[in-house]
Amino acid sequence: MREDTIPKLSKDLCNRMLTDLESARRPVLEAIKCSLDNSRYNPKVGYLTPGDKRVRSELNVASVQKMSRAIFILEILLRNIETGAVNTKREIYYISKGEVKHNPELGPLDFTDQSESDSIIDFICEMMECYREDLNCYANDRGGQTYSNQLVVTEALPDGTKAVVDLSSLGTSPFQPKNRPQSLTLKAKKKIDFCLVVESEGTANTFVTNGFCKRNNAILMGAQGVPSNAVRGWCRLIQDQLKIPIYFFGDLDAYTLQNIFRTLKAGSAASLIRNSDFSAPDVRFLGVLPEDIKKYDLADYPVKENDIQEARALKKASDVLKNDPFFKDKKNKGLARILEWLLKNKRRCEQQSYFTVDPRDPLMPEKIIIEKIKKGDFI
Amino acid sequence: MAKQKITSSSTAEYFSKNLQQVGFSSPTKAVLTTLKEAIDNSLDACEDEGIVPELYIEIEKVGAGTIKNTDLIRIKVEDNGPGLNIEDVPKVFGEYLASSKFGRGRCSRGQQGIGISAATTWAQLTSAKGARIITKTKSMRQAVSCLVEVDVKNNKGNLKDKKTISWDRPHGVSVEFVLDGRIQLQGEGGLITYLNGTALVNPHLNLRYKLLDQAVVKVDRVSDKCPDIPAAVEPHPHTMKLGEFIAHSHLFGRTTVSNFLKKGFSRITENTFQEFVKHGLNKKILNQLVDKTTDSQFKDVFSAIHKTELMAPSTRSVMIIGEETFSKSIRRLGEVDFFAVVTRKPTICDFKPVAIEIAVARLKSVQKVEGDDSPPVQVLRFANRVPLQFDKSACAMVKAIETVNWRSYGITQPKNSLPVGPYVFAISLVSPFIKFKNASKETVDASDELVEEIRRSLIQAGQRLSRHIKKEHREADLEEKLRHIEQFCPILVDCLCRITKAPEKRKKAATEGLVKLLGRDVNTAKKELDEALKHHKEAHAKGKIQIVEKKKAETEESEEDLKPPHPEFSEQSNEVIVKAKAEKAATKAKKKAPTKSKEKAKEKEA
Repeated sequence: MREDTIPKLSKDLCNRMLTDLESARRPVLEAIKCSLDNSRYNPKVGYLTPGDKRVRSELNVASVQKMSRAIFILEILLRNIETGAVNTKREIYYISKGEVKHNPELGPLDFTDQSESDSIIDFICEMMECYREDLNCYANDRGGQTYSNQLVVTEALPDGTKAVVDLSSLGTSPFQPKNRPQSLTLKAKKKIDFCLVVESEGTANTFVTNGFCKRNNAILMGAQGVPSNAVRGWCRLIQDQLKIPIYFFGDLDAYTLQNIFRTLKAGSAASLIRNSDFSAPDVRFLGVLPEDIKKYDLADYPVKENDIQEARALKKASDVLKNDPFFKDKKNKGLARILEWLLKNKRRCEQQSYFTVDPRDPLMPEKIIIEKIKKGDFI
Repeated sequence: MAKQKITSSSTAEYFSKNLQQVGFSSPTKAVLTTLKEAIDNSLDACEDEGIVPELYIEIEKVGAGTIKNTDLIRIKVEDNGPGLNIEDVPKVFGEYLASSKFGRGRCSRGQQGIGISAATTWAQLTSAKGARIITKTKSMRQAVSCLVEVDVKNNKGNLKDKKTISWDRPHGVSVEFVLDGRIQLQGEGGLITYLNGTALVNPHLNLRYKLLDQAVVKVDRVSDKCPDIPAAVEPHPHTMKLGEFIAHSHLFGRTTVSNFLKKGFSRITENTFQEFVKHGLNKKILNQLVDKTTDSQFKDVFSAIHKTELMAPSTRSVMIIGEETFSKSIRRLGEVDFFAVVTRKPTICDFKPVAIEIAVARLKSVQKVEGDDSPPVQVLRFANRVPLQFDKSACAMVKAIETVNWRSYGITQPKNSLPVGPYVFAISLVSPFIKFKNASKETVDASDELVEEIRRSLIQAGQRLSRHIKKEHREADLEEKLRHIEQFCPILVDCLCRITKAPEKRKKAATEGLVKLLGRDVNTAKKELDEALKHHKEAHAKGKIQIVEKKKAETEESEEDLKPPHPEFSEQSNEVIVKAKAEKAATKAKKKAPTKSKEKAKEKEA
């Protein structure tokens, strides 16, 4: 979205509301409904897209508070866009507290905790159909630390200049992608064969230290759990600009599959409006696959009934198989089968279990990964 | 088998070693149980003679107890009952299982004749002194004072220090125990909770009590009528076992089996004999004498009775307090905001007649803590008008409360638990045969039928309460909406105008439009409130719900309270002002700090 679009859209919206009020009509704020029941999956597109459902907020006594808060926060965000200032959601929360403090008449708008102001910011994004980064509201850049001896990144800076980062010059330090990957351009110094996204940041670091990037013409990335906007956008960029295969290597459990891998590959229901830029549909699930347990005699263990998080993930898995359009689609049958296997066997196997194959060979996991890639042993 | 000498013990010996079974399991419970037993005896004696009871209670610490961490406590209970003949005193206070009520099938508080003798035993065991009694009947010129001690070996009461004294009462009994114990005043097992509960279910009781160094508290009666204790009815044959049945037959002298059946049981008539014969009973047995009947013939009769469908037992033997009297009594609990009382028609549960009465009240003093984090409601349980204060979780009454969905009546309730909030749930269960879980009579057995009957009563009470609660919610809703108009309208319009850089003219027009819009919402809310008020009025008129009257100052409306919600809007929309006036009038029950609009209105007036 162009920088001047948001102020124009905002002014138009406020004008419409004022006109409605002048003629005693109820102004209506409309936004795309960002939820699973409004998610569609088109295998040709490869990510979750919004359906027809929209959330309508009509001004009445009950909604006047929410609307007033939305317009109040919008005014703060517009000011930021005008001056070029950026903020996190938490900072916006404190800025709004400061506004109330200095202008007691705004007292009724005061937020009691950050979750209230966060939901208002999300509502504005859904209404404007934009990313929060378009509103100069950035999330913390978490995850996505990238290592490569072939990749060169060029960043277009707000002042018009460019910064060029050759990842091979960083040694064992990673490159940290930004939440707004649109300003980055990628170039390969030498042909890059593949990109490997490792769920655990620590394991990715081990691979690099053991010389993964020296031996392979590859990009290695640590996802650090559920991929942030930065990781998702960065993977999309690698997919689009370098056109190389991307593999995901993580735990074999329901949480990894439905929360981490699905978000990376097809986006999430909560971010329907930005999945097009924040998902990498070409990414493949390299493992750990259920058959790897037998094949490599990996150490796995049963899902503990009293582990609330694991039990919840398994329960969610059965819902996901019935309701999630991504797993319901034929194209992702293989992934759905893994979920079914997990539900049936109630076992899990961690990515680090590859180290059990030959405990004295630190390169064994890397060897297995390369072997799997060569053999096409992925989904 | 080892050769050991077999000895027999007296009942008193057994109980003296197992006092925990009858409510003396801790020093705190010992004080409460002693007081409870003395009061039960006094109230039963008064009601038996049709005397409206007046009790005076004194509890004080008189020194250190002999048991670790206890005090020496003096408990004195005086009544205006008929008094006891001196020859009955050792039986009542010093002999176990000596009772005038055992197995009579009446709804009296005491039944077996264990409690007060156990209290004497506890006093004797801990302070080496029994119970000090003063008694005077109408026919006695002077009162008799004596000390009763339990002869544990022989289960007999011994009189000591007997003397005549002058006592300024026409009749009555004063009983005084000095024993080791600990005093707990408040809380579920507290003495004050017990005394308040006793006053609640005994509206005809005049109670004065002095606890420790506190001033004397007086609780006046709200009914001058002594309750009619219904006469006992004969047992229902389906509630008996064979051995019991045969033993019962010997109580009626030399009579025929048919006569014994008619006299000894309820629900057996000439017609039912024909039914017995149809179910295989030899007709001759009915006409033969009881003492000539063999055990196998009794068995035939017994099985024929059980094969025959008989009418359910009569509910005549059950007494109730009544909604009107209960309503008066509940106000003695404290400052009550509103309440609902339900008296169910006596019914049969587990083949026993039962009457359930419920009072649910909201207390003003604890209103502020209403919400998810507030403590559970206070549950007052009564069995035959005696408060039950311990082991509530397993009790039929608590189980019944937990099974009702109180959320649908507007009361907060965590899942599968007691509801929370500033409410008191008083449940009175009256029956000549209450099935307690233990000898200390602290918990009523939760049979499915009984829980269901209590549950139905609670649902009735909940429905009545919900009319008032819904009205309150509507009022709060309307107030909230008015507050929203007042607070957010100017902010929203200001923000919109700043972003669009709109001129003052547009701002004014938008404000007018917004006030009109929100005024319509207020009208809708008012209609909902009117509907709720209508239902509430109907319920109030039928006496299904009662609101404790507020002081005049609280209910009167001042002109200032009827000011429009926001002065800015007063110039622009008369419609809203009129509605707001009407609404404020309806919602003014809750007094709130003056809002900004009121202050502005004042300034404007000035």
